[in-house]
Amino acid sequence: MVGNNISRWTMTYFAMALAWLFVALVLMMAGVGYPAAGIASSDTLVLVHAVCIGWLSLAMCGALFQFVPVLVAAPLFSENWALPALGLLSAGLISLLAGFLSLGGRLPPALWLLPLGAVLLVAGFSLVVVDLGLTASLRPTGPARFVLAGLASLCATFVFGAIFAFALAGWTGPVGGFILASGVPLHAIAGLGGWLTLTAMGVSYRLLAMFMLAPDVDDRQSRMTLATGAFAVGLTVAGGSLAIWLASGLNVVLSIAAVFGLASVGLYGRDIAGIFRARKRRHLELNMRMATLSFVGLAAMAVLGIALAATDMFAAHVGAFAFLAVFGWLSGLVLAKLYKIVAFLTWLETYGPVMGRTPTPRVQDLVAEGRATKWFVLYYAAVWSGTLMLLAGEPHLFRAAAAAMTVGVVGIVREVIRIRRLADVASPLRLPGGAIAPHLLFARA
Amino acid sequence: MTGELEGRIRDALRVVIDPELGENIVDLGFIYDISVGDGAVHITMTATTPGCPATSFLREGVENAAARVPGVESVEVTMTFDPLWTPSLIEPAIRASLGFAAVN
Repeated sequence: MVGNNISRWTMTYFAMALAWLFVALVLMMAGVGYPAAGIASSDTLVLVHAVCIGWLSLAMCGALFQFVPVLVAAPLFSENWALPALGLLSAGLISLLAGFLSLGGRLPPALWLLPLGAVLLVAGFSLVVVDLGLTASLRPTGPARFVLAGLASLCATFVFGAIFAFALAGWTGPVGGFILASGVPLHAIAGLGGWLTLTAMGVSYRLLAMFMLAPDVDDRQSRMTLATGAFAVGLTVAGGSLAIWLASGLNVVLSIAAVFGLASVGLYGRDIAGIFRARKRRHLELNMRMATLSFVGLAAMAVLGIALAATDMFAAHVGAFAFLAVFGWLSGLVLAKLYKIVAFLTWLETYGPVMGRTPTPRVQDLVAEGRATKWFVLYYAAVWSGTLMLLAGEPHLFRAAAAAMTVGVVGIVREVIRIRRLADVASPLRLPGGAIAPHLLFARA
Repeated sequence: MTGELEGRIRDALRVVIDPELGENIVDLGFIYDISVGDGAVHITMTATTPGCPATSFLREGVENAAARVPGVESVEVTMTFDPLWTPSLIEPAIRASLGFAAVN
């Protein structure tokens, strides 16, 4: 940690994550993968893994390297592991995606790329899990417990993923093929529901309380939210694996898990509403207002899931449901918080060392909320439109929504780069004597 | 003499701001105590949130600002969260401008 406060590589993770988000958006605009192709097609696998590993997981890892030490008030177990982990994850993802392209015939046959990618990803994620897990376990209370549950889910996710990759390459025999044929929902739920959602919930408790000056959520209250969510994921992974072993089908297990998952979302909504009600800062900054829209996305996802299940149409529209989960809930929250985290860390890195020696600007002087608002609004409007287009079976209009999302994300990223470059800070406060301008892609030592 | 030095230190600390709230830490009520004896200064202060990454920078900022005051020979800063900071510690005029709820 730089000055024991700032993770050196968080910005690097964010930059790489945003690059993968652009890859995914370009694929969607170009009509590669679902809905133009089948949901289980190799093109869709490329798209899904670019989003879930490249964008969301890297952004989450970058945020966790900064905020797990804050959650437990202790330094990261090893700052030195963050960059090698990023290298392994990036190389693994490229190899995996190349393997999927090979599987779909877009590249010459080279299915060995799939297990190679899996091994690299398992190695990279293992470094992340050990580093963050050993740090979070120093004080496993409140939000840190969510992170630990998220990391356990990540392990389940990459174990399933590695089995699938080896099975697709034909290296596992019939057992791997059998697990691959039924286990995809377990892999997806452990990843999206366990790793990404439980972790996002935990981090959001701390970030919301910290930036709105609200008391932390009561530990017993958040423990109940976590228990129901972790039970849903645990039941999916353990019960689902048993059901696959017994060849008894996944419907019962997934139905029970869905009930607990919904209960966890409801309890999380109660907790977040409590933080907003108890906040001491009445004015909501842009990142909070936009995070609120991601909570609306989470609630809409729950309502959509119930409606689709009640009308027996969940399987037909699982793509729209997953799209809303990934872009309405998770990506919306990550973009909103990234906007704030970059400003906050940039301030600490640039002005923290000169505090007391010279006047410094505020964090809010680094951002131009009025300009950024329209890009966030465009992004959310495009995501909701895209969800409706998927439900309506309109792939061409979905591509138009993806184009609008891209415009929104380009606008947000431009604002983030301006923050990093201190472009909106007026002189003479911009770089007072002794202050050093931050590097765009990492925190200076 | 000691009271006058304490006043000058308090004024000097106004260069340190809370980056989130954007106001100086003296008017925000972060400075709980300043004691002075033979040029040795001991400051007890707080911050809005325990564990916030800005906390150690605030502490160092206070150290730096106090050390620059003529007559100060050494500075020791203690960060405490007992009692916890509340918006009621903010100067009333600034509290209103920051938009804190009256009930808080």
